[in-house]
Amino acid sequence: MTWRNVRIIFAREIRDQLRDRRTIFMVAVLPVFLYPLLGLSFFQIAQFMGEKPSRILVIGAREPLDPPLFENNRFCEMFFASPAEARLLELTFFREEPEDHGLLRAPEGWETLAKEAITSQDFDAVLVFPPGFAGELARFREEIRRQLTAHFPGDIRNPADTHFESTGSKDHDELSHSGGIPPGKGQPVIVARSAIPSPQIYYSSAQERSQTAYNRLQRVLEQWSTQVMIANLAAAQLPPEAARPFRLEIADVSAGTSLQGAAVWAKIFPVLLVIWSLTGSFYPAVDLCAGEKERGTLETLLSSPASRKEIVLGKLAAITLFSMATAVLNLVSMGLTGWLAFGNLPQFSAPPLSSVLWLGLALLPTSAAFSCLALGIAAFARSTKEGQYYLMPLLFVTLPLVGLPMARGLELDLGTALIPITGLVLLLKTLIEGQIAEALRFVAPVTAVTLGGCLLMLRWSVQQFNREQVLFRESERFDLTAWLRYATRRRSVPTPALALLCGVSILLVRFVLTQALARTSLTLSFMQQALITQLVVVLLPVGVMTGLFVDRPRETLLLRWPRWRHVLGAALLAVALCPAFSTFKLWVTKLYPLDPAIAEYLKQLSTSVPDWPTLLFVMALVPAVCEELAFRGFVLSGFRSGLRPLEAVVYSAVFFALTHALMQQSVVAFVAGLVLGMLALRTGSLYPCVVYHAMHNGLGLVLGSITAEVYRQHPWLESLASWTEDGLMFRGPIVAAGILAAGLIVSWMIPHSPDRPTPEHDAD
Amino acid sequence: MCSVVVENLAKHYEDLRRGRIVALEGLSFVARPGEVFGLLGPNGAGKTTTLRILATLLRPTSGRAVVNGYDCLTQPDEVRRSIGFMSVNTAVYDRMTAWEMVEYFGLLYGLPRDVLRARMEELFNRLRMWEIRDVLGAKMSTGMKQKVSVARALIHDPPVLIFDEPTAGLDVLVARALLKTIAELRDQGKCVIFSTHIMREAEKLCDRIAILYRGKILAAGTLPELREKYREHDLEELFFRLITQVELENGQPTVAHQESHREPCDRDAVGTEHDTHTGSPALNRPT
Repeated sequence: MTWRNVRIIFAREIRDQLRDRRTIFMVAVLPVFLYPLLGLSFFQIAQFMGEKPSRILVIGAREPLDPPLFENNRFCEMFFASPAEARLLELTFFREEPEDHGLLRAPEGWETLAKEAITSQDFDAVLVFPPGFAGELARFREEIRRQLTAHFPGDIRNPADTHFESTGSKDHDELSHSGGIPPGKGQPVIVARSAIPSPQIYYSSAQERSQTAYNRLQRVLEQWSTQVMIANLAAAQLPPEAARPFRLEIADVSAGTSLQGAAVWAKIFPVLLVIWSLTGSFYPAVDLCAGEKERGTLETLLSSPASRKEIVLGKLAAITLFSMATAVLNLVSMGLTGWLAFGNLPQFSAPPLSSVLWLGLALLPTSAAFSCLALGIAAFARSTKEGQYYLMPLLFVTLPLVGLPMARGLELDLGTALIPITGLVLLLKTLIEGQIAEALRFVAPVTAVTLGGCLLMLRWSVQQFNREQVLFRESERFDLTAWLRYATRRRSVPTPALALLCGVSILLVRFVLTQALARTSLTLSFMQQALITQLVVVLLPVGVMTGLFVDRPRETLLLRWPRWRHVLGAALLAVALCPAFSTFKLWVTKLYPLDPAIAEYLKQLSTSVPDWPTLLFVMALVPAVCEELAFRGFVLSGFRSGLRPLEAVVYSAVFFALTHALMQQSVVAFVAGLVLGMLALRTGSLYPCVVYHAMHNGLGLVLGSITAEVYRQHPWLESLASWTEDGLMFRGPIVAAGILAAGLIVSWMIPHSPDRPTPEHDAD
Repeated sequence: MCSVVVENLAKHYEDLRRGRIVALEGLSFVARPGEVFGLLGPNGAGKTTTLRILATLLRPTSGRAVVNGYDCLTQPDEVRRSIGFMSVNTAVYDRMTAWEMVEYFGLLYGLPRDVLRARMEELFNRLRMWEIRDVLGAKMSTGMKQKVSVARALIHDPPVLIFDEPTAGLDVLVARALLKTIAELRDQGKCVIFSTHIMREAEKLCDRIAILYRGKILAAGTLPELREKYREHDLEELFFRLITQVELENGQPTVAHQESHREPCDRDAVGTEHDTHTGSPALNRPT
């Protein structure tokens, strides 16, 4: 590979894109003009965007209320910040006619009336004061006043001498017990029984207008409720401060600094950067790959001395540059427009200047990552139209990873740093918030994951450029019958497509069965559930697919009789790797802590076990047999028939991992799946895998059953492991010795491994 | 010395509807410097597949292809440096001028800038391309695009030239000029592999011809040799006779019957019939 060719191709692609009007428009013209135009339009349209008033039907407010709620057929203006706000609630008072026959005396009556009023869309919400509301409110206050006068004729000098009790609402109980002096002998007790019926708001959550009306009503009534409370306190000759003795004073330490309001920008900027990097990379990628196929120039380029790798790298560099340009122009234009349009508003705080630096640093890795992704997808598309269809699925996958960091409570730590895209967004968010030291701790893992992802996609792109079916396939009419016939015809071993189908089927059956069991009244023990999961979820799809699509089940499922060295070696390997896997499990759990409720549930499960033989049979042997038949049998054989052996091992390990319920288990299962896959490849038989898997599970169960007490009772365990709050942790030298031993065992097994040919289809 | 050696080349692939397609089977031929070797056959015979394998755009299922001493499978980079490839599918860039296009490929072929410039001027003179020097690809006529493609294929002065139906879509004047250029290249000592389905072109230009049908060579040799062997002077009749003979041997409808029902580019799978290829002919150009 020569970088000279990469530079030549890069320069040509840039020049070509710069001569494309569509690209110039999307990358340069659109952002420069769009945001200022949007800003201009906003102010023009704003006048039409005023809030519409809510129509409220008021039922049962015939008697005057104290303190007043209504004046001049509207809510009192004192409950609103401005008269304009008051006008947002238009009230209509229901007049009961004689022919209504006491409609409003019963709750059913006004409920029916309220529902009709809303569903007929005559009103947005209905406020109901039940009969006797005003009277009971007044009576309650009068009762307080009367009892106070009865017990304390004249003025009360020391309100603290008085203790109030009331039955009724919770609010009253809180009042009586907050900061008050407990009743003692000789102290009078004033009891005011509250029988005030509750006012009701009827609205429809299905309509936005109705919800808005409800919110507005609720705010007004809360204000009024406070006034009622103040009036009641006054009746008890208590000041309003009795209910609210102090106010909270809030001080923002970042006020006046450059970081004021940074939390908002820390959420906005990373999302914008990601979106603009993604869209800025996708269209050039489709044009440079699929578009070139369509225009017929790809064959011209492929016939030149430039290698596929050089071509891919040259195009990638061009796409990355355009992605960066799109992101920069959009962010700058948006930022300038925002500053010019809203900069003078008091509630607007400008983004911190340091965010420019962090965005600048994040620009290249973000653009490169999405460019690699876009290039990989575009390389696969046969035409521009097909390429553009792939944008939507790409957005569906990417946006949740971008949106996840916006969730409350999700912070940058080692676990989240290892999630592609999410880690990058969280790192940027942390930097913009000013937490530099915190962010710097995770730069390395985020960079490693991002770079790793880029390299994988780059490799995928080069592979697509080497695949004749992708480079030279033309659009064809999709024939479902022909495809089904092709996909389902019997073969000696499954195809990669069938392996994929098997893996997906297992996941789907698991999902359906879990939901179905949850909805039935069937109560299954943990052992029963585990058995059903293995037999129905894992074994059944494999059995069905093997029976339907495969001519050589023994070869597919690797049911060759193994050499004794392989079986013994597998068992020893499981023992040797046990400390390493146990430590890995603990590390994963530390990185991604289990939800406490789930951890407790798992603990309970482990104590509900009847006996060890049953436990080992159900949790070690049965899963070993079923999962090995599925994942190292059918799925691995299928992937091997069309992919390289290592790729097949990785994909089969992915499906194996996804079958596990918890993410923490999936991570460990993936690594175990790699070991098992390699074992299957090297031995050519499933039996060593079953032995390894059973031993791995069994040892895990044994280690999991060791409690602190058991640890104390067996001092020899101390030489192998220490006891921590997370459980048994093997000592470093033991883990290292185990790995070394594993290497020796494998080298002892390998010379005796058969050369297993790659399974081939009948058609190849 | 042979510039191009093809031995038992085979190419199979899977089609969703038609199953396994045998595009090429047991193909063998040799092409030498200073000759035009023609691949003659109808649409779907396997000409483009053969030439794409020689240009390292496709990988053979089995067999061997050697171009200028380099194996197409194991030394593809060296092969591509040794060839100039031009086909119906090798288009010009819409947003590049003629000069830019030729220069681009010249750079990819590793030519130093001064050598490249001199070479470009020579080619533009020879092919009379100065008028279109600064014309963008999108604005060029078919003939202009063809000239640019020829210049692109010749910029690095390769010893082997591969032309896959180069006159497709050209008018008679442009086609004639192109064939003249190809003849001149042959006279300069280049090894030219030329595919066509137009008999007249093959008669006028090719020193040796291989008649290709359904992925196999039915006959190969110089035109006089073929005429004498099959006792047929007209190449087109000769071609039809060979195809009819093959189909009768296989119990299939004859070409004459199929002609009225055939769709373009219909490439049916070949059965398990034995190869009718006559072996690698060691034929000399008649003096």
